[in-house]
This record gives sequence, C-alpha cells and structure tokens, in this order.
Amino acid sequence: MTGNSDNILEINSIEVMYDSVISALHDVSLNVPKGKIVALLGGNGAGKSTTLKSISTMLAAERGKVTKGSIVYDGTEVKNQNPYEMVTLGMVQVLEGRRCFGHLTVEENIIAGAYSRKLSKSQIKDELEKIYGYFNRLRDRRKSQAGFTSGGEQQMIAVARAMMAKPKMLLLDEPSMGLAPQLVAEIFNIVKELNEKEGVSILLAEQNTNVALRNADYGYIIETGHVMLHGSADELLNDEKVKELYLGISKEGRKNFRDVLREEETKKLA
Amino acid sequence: MTEVLFFIEVVVAGLLAGTMYSLVALGFVLIYKASSTFNFAQGAMVFFAVLAFVGFMELGLSFPVSFVVTVLLMVLVGFCTERLVLNPLMNQSEDTLLMATIGLGFVLEGLAQAAWGVEVRRLDLGIGDFPIEWIIDVFGLFVSALDVTAGIVAAVLIIGLALLFKYTRMGLGLRAVADDPGAASSIGIPLKNIMLLVWSAAGVVALVAGMMWGARAGVQFALVDLALKALPVLIIGGFSSIPGAIIGGLIIGATEKVLEVYLGPFFGGAIEGWAPYVLAIFFLLYRPEGLFGEKIIRRV
Ligand SMILES: Nc1ncnc2c1ncn2[C@@H]1O[C@H](COP(=O)(O)OP(=O)(O)O)[C@@H](O)[C@H]1O
Ligand SMILES: [Mg+2]
Repeated sequence: MTGNSDNILEINSIEVMYDSVISALHDVSLNVPKGKIVALLGGNGAGKSTTLKSISTMLAAERGKVTKGSIVYDGTEVKNQNPYEMVTLGMVQVLEGRRCFGHLTVEENIIAGAYSRKLSKSQIKDELEKIYGYFNRLRDRRKSQAGFTSGGEQQMIAVARAMMAKPKMLLLDEPSMGLAPQLVAEIFNIVKELNEKEGVSILLAEQNTNVALRNADYGYIIETGHVMLHGSADELLNDEKVKELYLGISKEGRKNFRDVLREEETKKLA
Repeated sequence: MTEVLFFIEVVVAGLLAGTMYSLVALGFVLIYKASSTFNFAQGAMVFFAVLAFVGFMELGLSFPVSFVVTVLLMVLVGFCTERLVLNPLMNQSEDTLLMATIGLGFVLEGLAQAAWGVEVRRLDLGIGDFPIEWIIDVFGLFVSALDVTAGIVAAVLIIGLALLFKYTRMGLGLRAVADDPGAASSIGIPLKNIMLLVWSAAGVVALVAGMMWGARAGVQFALVDLALKALPVLIIGGFSSIPGAIIGGLIIGATEKVLEVYLGPFFGGAIEGWAPYVLAIFFLLYRPEGLFGEKIIRRV
C-alpha cells in the first residue's frame, strides 16, 4: 500500500486526538491516486473534517494531533509542517462552511488565494482571467462584498480562491452543504472540470453520498473514526449496504455499518 | 463674537489633540483585528518607544538617526512579541492572550526604566507650544503649532496606513486575517508575517504618539495612562473599525477640551483625565457596539 508513486496522497492508519484526550480518528487509511477524485463519505462527526485537517496541518490550530500512523503527500511525510508550507507544496484545503472573507470583495478574496505565490500585478491579472473562465458567475460579482453574496457564490469563491494558490491537490470539505441541488450540480461540474483540465487531484469530504460518488473515481466510507468500506465509485453506488445506509433506502433500526456488520455476523453464527 | 471664537479655538485644539488619540487607537484596532485581543501593552509601547528615542538622542545620535533606530527597535519588539509571546500562545484562548499583553506591558515598562532611568525627560522637537502667527492673522484663532503639527503627522500616518492596507499584498493579507484567520491560514497567508506587520505598525504609531505627547508634557511614565485613553476612544468608535478609531479619537479630543474649559472650574479642574471615561460609559449604556461597530456579515 505504501511507496506507490502513482498516489499523490497516502494515509496509513492514522489516529488523531484533540486536546490530547478526545480521540477523533482511530484508524484511517486511504490513498488518493494522482489526478483522481476521491470521496470521503460519512455522517456528522464521522471524522471527515478531522482527516482533511490532518493532511493540511490545520489540525494544530484546533489543538489536534496525529498520534499514530503516517501521512505521505507527494513523496514527503507530513509531520511538522504548517499550513503555509503545505500550500507552497501545492496542498490547499477548502474549509467546511466556505469561510470567505466577508468584508473583502469577491475579487480580493480570489486574489488573496495567490498570497503565497508572490506574483506580479500582471501575473495576477492573467491568473484571475483563467479562474473566471471556470467561475463565470464570479466575474459579474467581482466588485461585490463577499459577505453579501449567496451561499453558492461563496462556495465558488472558496474554491476559486484555493485554485489561485495553484494546488496539485485540493481538499474540499462538504462543498454541497446547505445548497440547492441545482447549485450543487453546478459546483460539482466546475470541480470536475478543474480536475480534468488543471489535473488537480481532489479529496472530497461529503455527506451527500449520491452526488459525491457520481463525481468521484473512488470512495471511502468512515464512521466514528474508522474506515468501514472502500471501493470504486461504481462499486459503492451499487453496494447493497451503501444503498441502504447512505443512499436513503433505509430499513428501520439499522443506522450504521457497525450494526449491519454485527447483524450479519449473528446471522452467520446462527 | 469673542465667545464664539474662543469656543472654536477650544474645539480646534481638542480635535487636533484628538488626532493623537485616533492614532493610538488605530494601533489597538490593528492588533485587535489581527488577533482579537486588546493590546494592554500599547501604553507601555508608547512609553518605551519615546524613552528609547530620547535615550538615543542623549547618546549623541541625530534626530533622524534616533528616529530610524527607534523604529527598527520597535520592529524588533514586534518580532520578539510575535516569536516569544504570541506564537507560543497561538492556539490559546483570547483571555490568555489578553493576560499576555498585560504581562508584556510590565516587561516593556521595566525594560525602558532599567535602560534609560526613571526621571522625566524633556523632548524638544523644535516646535513650540505657541499659537501660529498667520492663523491668528487670518482666522483670529489662537492655535498651538504643536497641536497643528500633531494633527498633520497623525493624518499623514493614518492615510499612509489606510493606503498600505488597501493597495499592498501584505495589506490584503492583513484584511484577510482580520476577517477570518483560519481561512487565511488555509490558503497560505502566514499569520506570523501579518502579526509582525501589525505589531511593527503599532510600534511606529506608539513612537510618534509618544514623541508628540512627550514634547508637550515631558517624557514620563504618565504617557502610559494617556495612551490608555484609547480605550474610551475604542468604546465610542467600535473595537474593529479603523474609521471608528479615527472619529472616536476626534470626539474624545474635542469633548474633553470643551468640558475641561467650560465645566472644569466647577469640578476644580483636571476633568480631562476622567471625562472621556464618563462619555464612554454613556456609550456603553446606549450604544454598546460603538458608533462604527461593524455589523457582522452573516453567511447566507
Ligand atoms: N476542535 C475539536 N475539538 C475536540 N473535538 C473535536 C474537534 N473537532 C472535531 N471534534 C470531534 O471529532 C469527531 C470528528 O469530527 P469531524 O472530523 O468534525 O467530523 P465530520 O467532519 O465528519 O462531521 C467528532 O466526535 C467531533 O466531536
Ligand atoms: Mg466536517
């Protein structure tokens, strides 16, 4: 599993603690192949955001720490780096809840994404043009204060801003959160386009299993800090348990994988 | 008529003196925006900076050289503060940071006195605290040259900082950090550099304010309390608003002068010291977010 240079990211059985006592991840392993979109699926509190923050090293700002296992990004072990260093290595996280700079204009938000690249004014202009090519809607809103734009536009700002850092890999945390289906579709189309044309690898945390798997190449399902199941997007979409638990065709009383697996165990034993 | 002229004189003097409060309050706002903490060390920074400046002058350095050396010293203070105090406490609560700035204040006061002694120094900027002739001739107003200089210097610094924040890369970084430090960090804006910028700017502001005040009243420990008048300024203007700091300073400056002149005699004088706090309490009661307390923009 390790040492495969076709993977831009390899996570090997990490355990994560907050405040040295609250254990959030117990055993998470996953790989992201270069140029692919991988979905990290699970309900609220499953550990999706914690996994992403472990990779971007944003974890430290919340007094969290990877206590076991290893993360290897693009051949380098992620250990004591800070978010700034990770961004300069091409790893950028789009945080849950979009987190735009509300008092800055849309365009200032996007330009802020290029901060670490120290570009000239004309280079920034070129890069902006390229970004607006993907996010047409933002071009019209460029002078608006970001705090007054819609949720969908804010999600686009957040992704556009991250793209300005010229990432090799994007970590997207629940981009569909709170958005109407039509906007979700629009945003996923852009994400896919960025993946195909810019070659950026993507690890995508989502609760919206259906949309995520329809756009991803591979998926991992986590619950309470454990990876429960993984497979190609098609496999997962057709998996009976996934259908039942995550795609809304639920039998009563069985809420998560652990229950399903336990039930199957007892059946086998009987 | 002379009554009116006199009133105008008092207000103008108050407004000009108020620009210095604006400037010091601006130092607070910068740090508040970047790290959400009220920098209790700002008063000590004023004292430390101007005492160092006078100290360098006494060592025989010329005025401009002393100024530049002191600016560099204040950048160094900002650097050490970031490295030794803020960075280790980065992920601690805002209360912890507040305590840290109080501690930093004591350290700076102690250092300044250990290095330069405790006696009151004179600081001669070559600008007298006398009325300017041509203003008397043209407007019939008696306005102190020192007040006018202070007003101009503060205005230039404030405009300079505003341009810096609006049009430079670091300024954009600062505004991003002020809005959301976590998001800024996630896209590779190094908080460290922004903190250094903010603390250096606050240091320069402290030096300039200390020089203006020191030239009038002598370089002494009382400057620390004078600088803390930024607190009522911020209560009036709103802690996170740059225009608020500027207007709040002007309001405090003008009000305290007017009160001092017209009401002072009934209170046995020297109400300048506490009048701003009374004004601030009124604001706390009737408009706690301050005049310009920025509306928090909610995400849709
Ligand atoms: N800053 C934090 N401090 C303490 N515990 C946290 C923190 N952030 C998340 N957790 C805990 O870690 C677990 C995983 O949370 P999270 O990674 O946010 O899940 P998800 O993103 O899948 O909803 C939850 O039990 C949550 O309560
Ligand atoms: Mg989450």
